[in-house]
Amino acid sequence: MIAWQIKNVVKRYPGQTVPANNKISFEVREGEIFGLLGDNGAGKTTLIKQMVNLQASDLGEIRLYGKPVSQNSAHAPSLVGYMPQESHALNHLTVEEALYFSAHLRGLSRGDALAERDRLLKLWQLEDLRGHDSSRLSGGQRRLLRLAVATAGDRKILALDEPTNDLDPQKRRLVWDLLRRLKEERGATIVFITHDALEAEKIIERVGIMHRGELLVTGAPHELKRNLRHSVRLEIAFEPGQAQPLPDALAPRKLTETRWQLYLERHELGDVMDTLDIDRLVDLKLSSATLEDLYFHYVAAN
Amino acid sequence: MSRRISAQRFPIQLLDLVLIELSNWRWSWRSIVVASVFVPLFGMVGLSIYARDLGQEALNLVFSGSLVMALMLGNLSHIQSHVVFMRFNGALEYFASLPIHKHALTLAIIIAFFLLSLPGLVTLLVVGSALLRVSLAPHPLLLVAIPLCVLPMSAVGALIGVCARSPQQGSSLSVLTAFLFAGIGPVLFPAERLPEILRLLGPVNPAARAASALRQTLIGPLNEQIAPDLIVLLGFTACVFLLVNSKLDWRAGHSL
Repeated sequence: MIAWQIKNVVKRYPGQTVPANNKISFEVREGEIFGLLGDNGAGKTTLIKQMVNLQASDLGEIRLYGKPVSQNSAHAPSLVGYMPQESHALNHLTVEEALYFSAHLRGLSRGDALAERDRLLKLWQLEDLRGHDSSRLSGGQRRLLRLAVATAGDRKILALDEPTNDLDPQKRRLVWDLLRRLKEERGATIVFITHDALEAEKIIERVGIMHRGELLVTGAPHELKRNLRHSVRLEIAFEPGQAQPLPDALAPRKLTETRWQLYLERHELGDVMDTLDIDRLVDLKLSSATLEDLYFHYVAAN
Repeated sequence: MSRRISAQRFPIQLLDLVLIELSNWRWSWRSIVVASVFVPLFGMVGLSIYARDLGQEALNLVFSGSLVMALMLGNLSHIQSHVVFMRFNGALEYFASLPIHKHALTLAIIIAFFLLSLPGLVTLLVVGSALLRVSLAPHPLLLVAIPLCVLPMSAVGALIGVCARSPQQGSSLSVLTAFLFAGIGPVLFPAERLPEILRLLGPVNPAARAASALRQTLIGPLNEQIAPDLIVLLGFTACVFLLVNSKLDWRAGHSL
């Protein structure tokens, strides 16, 4: 079943030469985790706001479960939990108040909203902060709270704008784990924006890559990676002063004085490994192409 | 398809939103105390020095005018800055993403700031009447007059907040509007001391109507002016409130 259907959406802000969105079309299926990747100013935030009807489109249409979101302004709010990139809306509330009111205003009874509050405090590891003013929380804690607030009220459709920014590695892992659990246990449909392509890859089922208001491609990462000419990434580091010259034909990318990155086709791998002097290496990482590589590939091609 | 949970009924939305808005006191109570107690109190004392020579009638005017200043114009400024703040810091977006009516939000903001101004009002009533030796004779209609004195300027504050292009512009506009409403008609100064044009415009100024309604219901006597005063205040509030809701940039498309 299709949850969101985005058709030829265009948005141009006054005074801007490049449209924020230019004829964007794609679909998000029910129960899938869809990631939007793109550079700053690519139009991702505008798009996600249009999807939850907080931003009007100049042209095109967005449907949520078949109904145009702009025709009934209460349609998207009644189904979607939205997490903005930044918000000070709940700054003067305590953590537990923010969760309770969000759940209650989304339609849960008082008793259910209180239970939901306690469940979310535990789930998002915010129990120790329950009585704290939201404005006194650290950037990362505030982001966790905003995530918890987005999911409050038994929301099974989530639109999240950069859910892991400002988070330490441990908390980032918590977020990805919980989003995956929400999908697996509750069948949640999740659309999110991220710059954290490497980590997001752990949960993304389909991805859309945006650049300068255009949606360059959508698809499952493993399918899109087949389009990459160089499907293997090799990163090598030499002992200081021991760097080995690498063939120019391989277009090695210098990361530091001693560290290099190479993108290879699978069949090239054996030959390259044979030419490397293993004794001079201090580090070697071999991986298949990542979402980040996909992103660079499509942006460069456009 | 995802299970849709019914939205809360309007009164429940309103109550929740009032409670959320009331939690503003945690960070703004100092400015609310200063704006709703000390500023009008100092103004009241200052004006009373000159009004003493003009007799008790003038002191009554200063007393009711200062209450109006505290109730109406203080709320105008608070609500204006709150709404602008919500628009520019993403708070409005959070509320728009919830299944609530925007009327509930605007009404909640006005109610919350009205409630927050009540302690200042009581303090002014007690201290001001003692300082100016005004003998109070409250009429039951005071309970209607007080909210109706607050609502029009609160709605104007919300309208400025909704329309301002920046917080700075909102702040300048609210100061200008406050002076305008305080100066037109017998709000703080006796009608006979005002230029004719300001005297003529007095009946359409909600601040002058509010001062008149407060004088009648607080000090007495109640006269035939009370009904038109309350009707003008109610009508002005309704018009501005509708304007606020039509101007509020809430969700795309047909907005509720």
